[in-house]
Amino acid sequence: MLSCAARLVRAQIQSKPTACWVVAARGYADIVDEATFTTNEYALHKLDEGPSQTVTVTRDDALKYYRQMQTIRRMETAAGNLYKSKVIRGFCHLYSGQEACAVGMEAALTPDDHVITAYRAHGWTYTRGVPPVNILAELTGRKTGCAKGKGGSMHMYGKNFYGGNGIVGAQVPLGAGIALALKYTGSNNVCVALYGDGAANQGQVFETYNMAKLWDLPVIFVCENNGYGMGTAVERASASTDYYTRGDYVPGIRADGMDVLAVREATRFAAEWCRSGKGPVILEVATYRYSGHSMSDPGTSYRPREEIQEMRKTRDPITGLREKLISANIATAEEMKQIDLDVRAEIDKAVEQAKTDPELPVEEMYTDIFVDEPPFKVRGTNPFMYGMSK
Amino acid sequence: MASSVLWRTLGRTKLLPSHTLGRPAGCTEWYRNFYRTPEVFGVAPIKLHMPALSPTMEEGTIISWLKKEGDPIAAGDPLCEIETDKATLTMDADDDGVMAKILVPGNTKNVRINELIALMVAEGEDHTQVDIPTETGTPSAAVDTPADAPVPTATEDTSSSEFSSMRHVAGGKGHVDLSPAVRYLVDSNGLDAAAIVPTGPHGRLLKGDVLKFLAGDPSSRRQEVVAPTMPSAPTPLAAPPPPPPPVTHPAVPPAAAEEDEFVDIPHTSMRRVIAKRLTQSKTTVPHAYSSIDCEMGSVLRLRKQLQGSGVKVSVNDFIIKAVGQALKTVPEVNAQWMGEAVQLLSNVDISVAVATDKGLITPIVTDVPSRGLQNISETVKELAGRARIGKLLPQEYQGGTFSVSNLGMFGISQFSAIINPPQSCIMAIGGSRVLVEPTEDGHTTKTVMTVTLCSDSRVVDDALASTFLENFKENLENPFKAALL
Repeated sequence: MLSCAARLVRAQIQSKPTACWVVAARGYADIVDEATFTTNEYALHKLDEGPSQTVTVTRDDALKYYRQMQTIRRMETAAGNLYKSKVIRGFCHLYSGQEACAVGMEAALTPDDHVITAYRAHGWTYTRGVPPVNILAELTGRKTGCAKGKGGSMHMYGKNFYGGNGIVGAQVPLGAGIALALKYTGSNNVCVALYGDGAANQGQVFETYNMAKLWDLPVIFVCENNGYGMGTAVERASASTDYYTRGDYVPGIRADGMDVLAVREATRFAAEWCRSGKGPVILEVATYRYSGHSMSDPGTSYRPREEIQEMRKTRDPITGLREKLISANIATAEEMKQIDLDVRAEIDKAVEQAKTDPELPVEEMYTDIFVDEPPFKVRGTNPFMYGMSK
Repeated sequence: MASSVLWRTLGRTKLLPSHTLGRPAGCTEWYRNFYRTPEVFGVAPIKLHMPALSPTMEEGTIISWLKKEGDPIAAGDPLCEIETDKATLTMDADDDGVMAKILVPGNTKNVRINELIALMVAEGEDHTQVDIPTETGTPSAAVDTPADAPVPTATEDTSSSEFSSMRHVAGGKGHVDLSPAVRYLVDSNGLDAAAIVPTGPHGRLLKGDVLKFLAGDPSSRRQEVVAPTMPSAPTPLAAPPPPPPPVTHPAVPPAAAEEDEFVDIPHTSMRRVIAKRLTQSKTTVPHAYSSIDCEMGSVLRLRKQLQGSGVKVSVNDFIIKAVGQALKTVPEVNAQWMGEAVQLLSNVDISVAVATDKGLITPIVTDVPSRGLQNISETVKELAGRARIGKLLPQEYQGGTFSVSNLGMFGISQFSAIINPPQSCIMAIGGSRVLVEPTEDGHTTKTVMTVTLCSDSRVVDDALASTFLENFKENLENPFKAALL
């Protein structure tokens, strides 16, 4: 029945040669394979030369970055909606608006480099290789989640990805520790330790700067400065809002965090610096988050709605990349629209799966306590309840 | 097309790919997606559900819609204002698009979480052609899942409101546990428990559900499974009136079905606070009342004189000044009852009662004895003006050592007021009246005003009150003396 009708309609098209011709005459010939752009200036601290302002990107890479950013955006929107329908409970910190940081940095790193970040980690979990369906299943607490559903939003882990840390600024010393391990074992890899503008004022961060510089650890300290530490604007929280200079003796770079290519270039520079044994680097990415600090924060009580709207209109990383690619003829608007639709379909499917996958059985309460330990008895929630760890 | 009906049915099921919205631009295989064009089918909507804006929110009120049907929406735009149990927040849009249909209008109370409240279409689509789902929550439940047990889908839309985390507990299991009351009702009326929608925890059937079912409420019936036996005779029940069914939404409150004999004015928070404080005051503080008549002749003459030289003061200002001076002369009245002692206060701050639309509020005139009449007049006018528009700062109406309330302008001759704790007195001023007094050769008239002092008799007993009132009367009747001394 379907094919009959389709044939009928196809016949009608063929009887209109002009329509066909127009369809076939799309300008694929104009698409180039590579393009060069100029980024905004980088601010440098204790560095004579910085990352190059001229960035080149190939077509494949560009579409990959676009797809990754769009996936993160849609995944975070889906997580927000799931939270609002009470399918996800607890904490949920969304990354919408900051996608260029994760995607840009990942583009300059290898899967053998290590990353540790704070609780706004869903985007990083994705770029570190965990599929969106496992991230969403972790948020909804299912067996198929990347931490078996035991961790939730703030405790997602992957290969060479150490989460997902709830305590503000706690991950920075850990990041330096990972870098120490990398240097000690003689590998050529770096560790990226991310923190926010709020955590930048924590004491242990400065202790870490000292140790990292003293021992020349290959760690890139990344400050994701989104302008607000929960609800406090940076001007009201920090005496110096030039977070890239806060390391004093640690060289620093500030890059535009809404431009994925600028972030990639800056990270490339920083990674090369660290890999050549010159010690740590601070990379401040000036970015913005559209949602509130977490799902319990509407995000509009400490900043005007117009500011958010303006950032969305003028500095959105995804639309920024899209415009760049279309104007440089690397990709067409239709292609990108198709990517949007594909991503939307993928995330919708992932959401459905995240809602219907099975939850962990109660016996899993007693597992994953120690590594490589033979099974032992574990007390449950009262003195009369026991289970066996596996 | 004759096959359009078939296309429409197929389109509603999952047999054809539904993720393509409208005609994919430039795609040479557009004919495969022909069924999705607005001419044949409605445009697939983006559904907007009622969000849980706080973790404890179960239902909320949609106060107003900030976007009308046909308005363009950008990601991040506010769509509607929702009042939760805690605050009023806005619901923001996630995607760009056009508002297609508002299913739940503004001013609707008790909208449960996850209810479908509006439909949006993607940018570029025709919003008038939007496909409105006929069943809320599970539009695919109608035809396409004959193989699935009907029970889980029903649990899905009932449990989506509460206890949504228990979705994997199949609804069928819930009916195995029937409490004795429910079992009795079900058996005695010959009902099938599976036909009634459970609203209890873990899918339990509650007595209220059965009563609703017997009252004939359509929302208590499961939609897929038709009840095999109807109640033989609807038992006359003193059942509560059926609540508004969650699907259709004219925002009609349940009581509107009965006669409108009364009107409820819901409490504002200000009214609530005033009520609480007044009740606390009247029940815990022992009120004592003393009245005195004051001759207002000199005050009125002086006022006219001042008016003549361009100074506008009111009788109330004279009263406030007189009270302030009396409090300086009799400082025991300017006191507060503390747990262990009576605290004499050194500053004389008088709260002047001002009637506003929202209730009675008492802005404070600080340090009255040091102010002149004109100063008091200006201060009172300014504070009253700001009080009426609700722009008083908290320190301007919290505190004070003595209150004055004047109802003379309303024609009240005498009244008693309720003390504002922790103050110990409030002076209730009535209106002036003219009395005729006989003298040796005829009569004279005098203007008299009754003043009632309501005092906390723990602090200001009757004797002290009388002394104070005498002083006050003296000050009021001899304004010059009071000013000079």
